[in-house]
Amino acid sequence: MSQNGIRTNLKQLIVTTLNLDGLTPERIADDEPLFGSGLGLDSVDALELVVALEKEYGISIASHEVDRSVFGSLASLAGFVERRLAESKPQAADGQ
Amino acid sequence: MASEARDRRAVITGLGAVSAFGWGVDALRDGLRSGRTAIGPFQRFDHTRHRTHVAGEVPEGPPPDFARGPRWRRLSLADRFAVFAAREALAQAGLEGPLHERAAGVFFASSTGGMLESERYFTQLVRAGARPPLGLMSSQQINGPGDAVARDLRVTGPVQTLSSACASGALALEAALAAIRAGEVEIAVAGGSDSLCEITYSGFNALRAVDEAPCRPFREGRAGMSIGEGAGVLVLESVDHARGRGATPLAELRGSGASCDASHMTAPHPEGAGAALALTRAFTDAHLEPDGVDFINAHGTGTPLNDAAEFAAFRAALGDRASQVPLTSTKGVVGHLLGSSGAIEAVATVIGLRDREVHPTPGGGRVDPAIGARLVLDVPEAVPDARTAVSTSLAFGGSNVALVLARWD
Repeated sequence: MSQNGIRTNLKQLIVTTLNLDGLTPERIADDEPLFGSGLGLDSVDALELVVALEKEYGISIASHEVDRSVFGSLASLAGFVERRLAESKPQAADGQ
Repeated sequence: MASEARDRRAVITGLGAVSAFGWGVDALRDGLRSGRTAIGPFQRFDHTRHRTHVAGEVPEGPPPDFARGPRWRRLSLADRFAVFAAREALAQAGLEGPLHERAAGVFFASSTGGMLESERYFTQLVRAGARPPLGLMSSQQINGPGDAVARDLRVTGPVQTLSSACASGALALEAALAAIRAGEVEIAVAGGSDSLCEITYSGFNALRAVDEAPCRPFREGRAGMSIGEGAGVLVLESVDHARGRGATPLAELRGSGASCDASHMTAPHPEGAGAALALTRAFTDAHLEPDGVDFINAHGTGTPLNDAAEFAAFRAALGDRASQVPLTSTKGVVGHLLGSSGAIEAVATVIGLRDREVHPTPGGGRVDPAIGARLVLDVPEAVPDARTAVSTSLAFGGSNVALVLARWD
């Protein structure tokens, strides 16, 4: 999946997972903070997102990885997912 | 400093309420005066399979001009009632939040906390098989409403939640009174909040404690309570603190008394012995002779057992005066708010003292002649000379509280 594809996919995932009033994928900017100011997500949203990401992409996210460098913005989150997918690809190929 | 006498009496300087009549004290006051009941059909959940079909449900809210704050979506419905009523009470008191630089505490009551949202979480989990939003459980605890108030007002003093069934709201006020007298706080935000949910509705129904019609306290043929929801909040201050900032007290919380029947899980002591003890203790605490009671806001649930036992307690504690003074029950108007009933009834009692009138008790049928209460009917009864009122809360489990409230002027 291309980085743009991941970003688009992530925005949709955030909207459907968090069910925030009036939030659409178009309203999530790539570089806007997801938590605190910006989108205004909180720690419960973070828990929801981790579970949704693990399910959606078949990756696993450790507690220590749930930090600002990963969850700071849509772009940083997409980068993280992309790296994780890339890491898991060879194993998936071996499995086939 | 040592020679200066300190006045640790507790005055009430602000009121807040959410009830089936709407969001705010004005809606409650108008409803209380109307002689109508706010108990009726409701939409909160599917109750077709229940035995009864009425409740006192709060309309949609809060009003659009209410500033909800960034964490509003994390609050349970009971939390929201609480925060709204607390801000309303604080505004009337003329106290601007935040309160973190003042000696303030929160003394709160609840029976349900976020029980409604927990029900929704587990209903989705069981019926849909999918993982429901975690947010439904983010304010699940009974201390949710009191804690939400503390965060909203930034109260950094003692914050506590009492949950002793239907005595909780009055116990919270008693705790606030004690904290003010002891000098632990100068300001106490005291009250309670509960939401209508299926566990309480079906539970009381299963006990056959719910009337099919809106409840009819102290009437012949009464057949039980009606569940309500909402919040009542009172701002209490030491007299010193209120005077120091030039505030005008609405009333005084003059005393309280508590007891326990220590006899049955649900039924009151048949002669109301525990309730009478609470009343007597309250009169002692308030330095009040029973003849000084000018009207009564009874617990008055409308169950056959409660109203009879409660009035027996009034007779025991007040003698002949019990059947001479006007008596009302707020539960006939907005339903039974469970843990927070004592709080909203204290609000109703202060309104009555301030406006010098006792609100009527809706409900059909004649007043039960076997009880002999002077129930206020149809329209508010003017009590131009009233100075002091008593409000009772008698819980399942036998916990009883009587509060003595008085005009301040």
